[in-house]
Amino acid sequence: MKMITGGAYQGKSEFVKKHFDCEILDGESCDFEKVFTAECVCNYHLLVKRLIENGHDAIAFTERLCRDNPEIIVIINEIGCGIIPLEKSERIWREQTGRAGSIIAKNSDTVVRIICGIPTVIKGEI
Amino acid sequence: MMTVVIGGSKCGKSGYAEKILDSFDGKKLYIATMIPYGSEAHTAIERHREMRRNKGFETIEKYTALNEIVLSGKCAVLLECMGNLLANEMFGVGKITNPIENILSGVESLNTQAEQLVIVTNNIACDGISYESGTMEYIRNMGEINRCLCETADNVIECVYGIPLAVKGKLL
Repeated sequence: MKMITGGAYQGKSEFVKKHFDCEILDGESCDFEKVFTAECVCNYHLLVKRLIENGHDAIAFTERLCRDNPEIIVIINEIGCGIIPLEKSERIWREQTGRAGSIIAKNSDTVVRIICGIPTVIKGEI
Repeated sequence: MMTVVIGGSKCGKSGYAEKILDSFDGKKLYIATMIPYGSEAHTAIERHREMRRNKGFETIEKYTALNEIVLSGKCAVLLECMGNLLANEMFGVGKITNPIENILSGVESLNTQAEQLVIVTNNIACDGISYESGTMEYIRNMGEINRCLCETADNVIECVYGIPLAVKGKLL
């Protein structure tokens, strides 16, 4: 499993396209079940949001993903570094994204963080 | 020795901060700054209590005025967290006039008294949203406090989705 993270529009997907030959599924709009067989999923933080909105347990989903699709590349934004949102649903999403991302990072051999298009390997190696 | 652990929401900073003091053989104090107000605060406090269970911490609840704390003997302090402490100093009952000075002098006092000081703080400045003036002042104050803490600290560790990264000094 590999994880690519960083803020919005930092070049995460471009990094994946450059280094890996894979099809990227969009977590913002894809069928949930397709994630379990995908080579790569992007916008995992938005997938977490949709899972919550549809009454699913995003943590259990993420744990199953690590078990059932251990070769997947997950692209997930860092969204936790701001003011605590006033809206409760936004707070839950932010926290669940933090937890889900920590599970993915723990299960990944490689974690890359990208800022301004510059990748830093923060776990393992490419 | 002073270590600052910084990160966003649910990034594993508390767990890492506790782990730093695993091998400490003196008294371990946990200074809790969150006021138990509302169900979410209670849930968060309970979750953290569960994490600390059996790790040998004595908990002190201190919501403002850290410099009133007097320690004795060989001890290590885990202060959690700066975000709540600043909010209490700025917006709490009986508005305090110099929150930054109060907090920094309190930290200095703890750092002088404790053999090891670990401070959990928050990176809150990266969402790019412009808030009303009170919140912007809070963000600015957090920035100043974090800069001052990290200048003094021997180690500064940033947690990213559970992965600790040494920004200054070394991983412990």
